[in-house]
Amino acid sequence: MLRTTLLFVFLLIANLCFAGPDTTTVLKKAVVKNDTVAVSKKPAAVITDTTTVEQRSLDTVALNKYKKLPEFKYEETYNGPSWWTRFWRWFWEWLSQLLGRAGKHPGAMSALFIFLKYFFIVAGVSALVFLIMKLSGINMLHLFRKKPYSSLAYAESVENIHEIDFEAEIENAIAVHNYRFAVRLLYLRSLKQLSDNGLINWQINKTNTNYVYELSNAEQREAFKRLTLQFEYVWYGDFLINGEIFKRINALFNTFKSSAE
Amino acid sequence: MENENFEQRTDLSKLSSAVAQIKATLSKIIVGQQQVIDLIIAGILADGHILIEGVPGVAKTLTAKLIAKAVDVKYSRIQFTPDLMPSDVLGTSVFNPQTAGFEFKRGPVFGNIILIDEINRAPAKTQSALFEVMEERQITMDSHTYKMDEPFIVLATQNPVEQEGTYRLPEAQLDRFLFKIEIKYPSLEEEIAIVTQQHQQKTADQLSDIKPVLAGEDIIALRRQVRALYVEPKILAFAAQIIHETRNNRSIYLGGSPRASLAIVNAAKAIAAINGRDFVTPDDIILVAAPVLRHRIMLTPDKEMEGVLPDDVIAQIIQKIEIPR
Repeated sequence: MLRTTLLFVFLLIANLCFAGPDTTTVLKKAVVKNDTVAVSKKPAAVITDTTTVEQRSLDTVALNKYKKLPEFKYEETYNGPSWWTRFWRWFWEWLSQLLGRAGKHPGAMSALFIFLKYFFIVAGVSALVFLIMKLSGINMLHLFRKKPYSSLAYAESVENIHEIDFEAEIENAIAVHNYRFAVRLLYLRSLKQLSDNGLINWQINKTNTNYVYELSNAEQREAFKRLTLQFEYVWYGDFLINGEIFKRINALFNTFKSSAE
Repeated sequence: MENENFEQRTDLSKLSSAVAQIKATLSKIIVGQQQVIDLIIAGILADGHILIEGVPGVAKTLTAKLIAKAVDVKYSRIQFTPDLMPSDVLGTSVFNPQTAGFEFKRGPVFGNIILIDEINRAPAKTQSALFEVMEERQITMDSHTYKMDEPFIVLATQNPVEQEGTYRLPEAQLDRFLFKIEIKYPSLEEEIAIVTQQHQQKTADQLSDIKPVLAGEDIIALRRQVRALYVEPKILAFAAQIIHETRNNRSIYLGGSPRASLAIVNAAKAIAAINGRDFVTPDDIILVAAPVLRHRIMLTPDKEMEGVLPDDVIAQIIQKIEIPR
């Protein structure tokens, strides 16, 4: 125990002996130096302003010239209300007299004046709303309803397949050897027939393919597909068609017609 | 479907064979999306540029890469990023100390099929570099005009503009795309087929087995054939009327341009040719109307806020027009 205590004391002393130097700095006392600048003791000299003051006056000629100019006339002359203001004043006075009299008139006249009163109020308010909307660029037509996607109306077909006399028209076309037109009429006749039988829903915006796929009967669909092919070659493809080819095509259409009846 | 009463005026057998080959090549990798593939082929045949839009992961880039692989032409890909500069696309003049003069270093846009991936991640400054080359197939740089080789097709992919880090493309540029094709999510059956196909795949590179089935000259010849197809005047009027109505519709702020009228007719011709016809029907016009117009028209702000889509408005316009018959 004693040895341990001695060792502890020894280490403590050794530590104190090898401690670092004290780095605390001591401020040196500042040396006060006296001001050695020489001060002049002469009094300041007063300088007097001796210049003569010249009095200036306004140029009356120029002043009068400016006074005559209309830009410098500030007095406002009032010549009474303009004719436009007078008109409106007269109008409103007349109107108020007219409406004031409404209470005195019995029956229909009274009702008329009341109607006129409210009519003018509604018209005035509507005009105000219209003006505000016009100025703010709001489209009133579409204010309270949903805008349609397109302004385009259906282009009315020149021909209505339900009004054409197909048999007569086809005969006429064959007579003048206009086989191309005859094939077109044959095809339109087939469409009418299918539409009349409720097999297709005839619409001017449907393509031939749409009608083909509307047919639920597979056999009928294949037959109509074949007719469509003939029509498309002749009408869209502008393939030359003579009497011989027309006979074959006509036979196809007639077979379809009789099968669809 | 052939018509036994009429002899074919145009021999479309080569075209049909080429279309079948491309479809077969694409269907090796792409599951479903038949209409998308038809429209891409129609776009190529109609000499147009195609913008493919879809959410991430619906194989936009893969489809475009497949198309490029199926055609034996010079293909280059440009990844559009926000810091891309016009000169990174077109090229730039570089000083050559040996000749003591400037030499034009051609950019990646010089090619036949250009895949611009994530096109709407670059700002309008970079997009404007594409205006001349897309419309006129040429680049003017330092007073010199460089013509592009035929065929020149830009296939661009983009995420919907609602996605983070995307810009809306300038209207002038959108008008230069023949089609904007939207790739939707696959159906459940298609999804199963995709997963199964991926699971059974032996190699990591899906495109390693794809071989070109069409040369550049073939495309030029097929385009010439498509251009010569017959269009009935009433069908031309029908197409023009659709475009005209987009300019008078209350839901539309910006309607279709005359370029859209030309595009709808050219695209309909290509669809007719793919279907083996040398004439256009109203069905062809209706089929291409939405892909041709959906990126060209701008809806009014109130319609956009209501969630109305351009396709809805286009369908309503068509519904109001009488089919020529």
